[in-house]
Amino acid sequence: MISSRLFHLWCLFSALLLLSVVGLLLGFIVVKGYPAMGVTLYFGQTAPLDGLLGLAPIWDGIWPACVGTLSVVSLALLLALFPGIGCGIWLAQSAPSRCRELLTLAVDILAGFPSILMGLFGFTLILLLRQYLLPNANTSLLLSATCLALLILPYLAVTTRTALLALPPSLMITAQALGMSRSQTLGYVLLPQAIRGISGGIMLAFGRAAEDTAVIMLTGAVANAGLPGGLFERYEALPFTIFYYSAQYQSEDELQLAFGAALTLLFITAGLFSLASALLHRTTGNTL
Amino acid sequence: MIADKRPPLNRGNVTGSDRLAALLPWLAGGVFGTIVAVFLLLGYFALPVLFDGNITLFSPIWRPEQGQYGIMAMVMASVMLAILASLIALPLAVGICGLCLFPQYRRIAALLRALMRLMAGVPTVVYGIAAVFLLVPWLRDTLHYGSGFCLLAAILMVVILILPVMIMLLDSHCRVLMQQLYPTASALGMTSSQIILHLILPSSRPVLAASTLLGLSRAIGDTLLPLMLAGNAPQLSANLLDSMRTLTAHIALVLATDSHSAEYNSLFAAGLLLLSVSTVTTILIRTITTRSGARSPQS
Amino acid sequence: MLSPTFLRNLLCSMLFIPAALLSISASATDTDRFAHLHGQLNIAGGTAHIPVMKQAARAIMTANPDIRITIAGGGSGVGAQQAAKGLAEIGNTGRALKPAEAAQGLVSFPFAIDGVAVILNPTNPVKALSSQQVADIYAGKITNWQTLGGADKTINLFTRDEASGTRAVFVKKLLHNGSVVTKANVVPSNGAMKTAVARDPAAIGYSSVGYIDNTVVAPTLDGIHPSNEACANGHYPVVRKLYMNTKGEPQGLTRAFIDFIYSPQGAGYIRSSGYIPLAQQ
Repeated sequence: MISSRLFHLWCLFSALLLLSVVGLLLGFIVVKGYPAMGVTLYFGQTAPLDGLLGLAPIWDGIWPACVGTLSVVSLALLLALFPGIGCGIWLAQSAPSRCRELLTLAVDILAGFPSILMGLFGFTLILLLRQYLLPNANTSLLLSATCLALLILPYLAVTTRTALLALPPSLMITAQALGMSRSQTLGYVLLPQAIRGISGGIMLAFGRAAEDTAVIMLTGAVANAGLPGGLFERYEALPFTIFYYSAQYQSEDELQLAFGAALTLLFITAGLFSLASALLHRTTGNTL
Repeated sequence: MIADKRPPLNRGNVTGSDRLAALLPWLAGGVFGTIVAVFLLLGYFALPVLFDGNITLFSPIWRPEQGQYGIMAMVMASVMLAILASLIALPLAVGICGLCLFPQYRRIAALLRALMRLMAGVPTVVYGIAAVFLLVPWLRDTLHYGSGFCLLAAILMVVILILPVMIMLLDSHCRVLMQQLYPTASALGMTSSQIILHLILPSSRPVLAASTLLGLSRAIGDTLLPLMLAGNAPQLSANLLDSMRTLTAHIALVLATDSHSAEYNSLFAAGLLLLSVSTVTTILIRTITTRSGARSPQS
Repeated sequence: MLSPTFLRNLLCSMLFIPAALLSISASATDTDRFAHLHGQLNIAGGTAHIPVMKQAARAIMTANPDIRITIAGGGSGVGAQQAAKGLAEIGNTGRALKPAEAAQGLVSFPFAIDGVAVILNPTNPVKALSSQQVADIYAGKITNWQTLGGADKTINLFTRDEASGTRAVFVKKLLHNGSVVTKANVVPSNGAMKTAVARDPAAIGYSSVGYIDNTVVAPTLDGIHPSNEACANGHYPVVRKLYMNTKGEPQGLTRAFIDFIYSPQGAGYIRSSGYIPLAQQ
């Protein structure tokens, strides 16, 4: 059978092609970024301890961008955590209804939302707010976090729902037979059982928010700001730093900064995604 | 409003879990409201643009200095990018997913699946910077045509970007089928590649369609790769080696300009187009996956 | 042979050493004005301005850690838009404000003279161009370097986005409002323009004179080398002013920052960024 032999070859070829291309791309980042790794990459010429404690401003280092990314992502997660997980629980628990159908559809659509549109939404929102409600509102850490929260909300909702639905129905039946109310079953039996899947979803959301560039570049990330100064101020972020310096490095040092930042970000998000998927995989048997 | 219709046994003693359960419909409603609000806001700004009789919007010529704000060149670039990227990605995804199903490659399959999870976590901007310094110079030197910044560069990188989600969707479906069919089919004397090629893939046609659509919607929505690699020239061209600008890159570039001009309005037209494309593909994917009983994509 | 760029850079650095020494001694007074100020200052817009703004911000934030200055690019269009909407306290433009922008209550502070020059890859043998040739290249009439005495390579065009003041000046003063073919690659900043041309042997682009260093070369235009001196004395025609713009008369920190740019220390940063400082009007 020639066709099946050919198919076999094609399978081998495509896997080999993918392995070599991805290996080349990621290897390039590692090779270029690794020499940059070191105290100067993060803190520039500032003494590391002063920089860490925020005593001295940091120039030519990516530490402010790291802190910026961490704060914007944590804030986004904080904003999306309760609505996202709550929404997921509701989707898993409520009886089939038109409302549930609509919400599932809305969450799915939001999951496919191009992130640049979320950026456009954020930018429009702030112009609208300034015009009618808050004349001092500005593109800021909070605005970016809000838009990112919307972006990662579907991840939280869907992983929570999947984790709950993957639990054996016998758990629910047993708990209710023991006289627990539905909310007690949920709080004491189902949620603790699904915690792995849910935490996988949280990590996934964290990684997704950390890598996004299109949203933050329209809503408050800038090239130079120092450590984040507050919720209502502009900030530096790793993905934007990479984007900015890869196109307009003024010196080899700035190019090194871009590669160093790329390697740092790669470690953070790839690590989170791998861990998250492993957790999700183990609980639900579902890949991603 | 309490979701629980049964009277709780420990009446009068409201526990934390009861409060949580009472909160759920509100959270769900809030989420739904927010999503609707996002749509309404974008629609509110975009719809007037489409109906204000500005015909230049649908022309292929983008010359804001001369008052021509056509976005059709960008629409074409986006469409070409999305269709070609998903068409290139599909056979590769089938090949890799196929390899993961062969019983003799179980070890390699585990490795590939781990790689897919890792790839799903590679930031777009990291692919972008690697391509700017590897792919673009390579294209420039080997093709002797243009600067290397071209739609092809963006397409190739987008293929890598969308492969993991496509493969994961395919794999989660085909794996179950393989487990069901393999014992019988191999007992009938079929080889593994025959089983995959003649039994599993034909019966996974809806999932193949869904994963292509998923790749398509990812490809059309990506901003960074076309912005960094495609050259951003607002021209209509059928040559993949020419510099072109996608709708997403257009929004990122033009959000810069004065907000009273027609340029700025054209952004919302571009946004509305993207929004409708992504919404329609999402609905299509849902319809296909629910009808075929496959798991719906999670991300 | 020593390249003219090298000589110019050498000249600049020689001129700059005394200025730098001066500014060290003067720094005690020039950053003094920030002593009792605190808060945040957002700067956005013109990408030619960024090196000046960055150095100034660095000096100010080092002298007074209570002040945070954020700097974003985007181009002149962004500068005017963000200042007018109040999203940034200072919006930089590399061109004079358009009437529609000025009507939104913006006040302009020109602080430096800059030229806009054609830039080529250093490996390109073409060292001289006429303004007609540049216009023809950008109109798509000349498409091969061979026509201009270079290698047999297709010309790769690079241009800026419409928000760019550099583009506006280039199109107005060098192309005389001639069109730019749509096939030209679009880059979003002076820095991106420079790195794109530096990496592509067949590229032509244009950028602020301040951005030209040894990674790119500027060919002579109609026989005139686009140096700082030629820009200042008017021999090189494609020049413009760099502006800071504020919504209404600036107050507090914004005022102090603008005054600082006009101070001797600020002038030192302007010179070291490759521009010619202007006195406060």
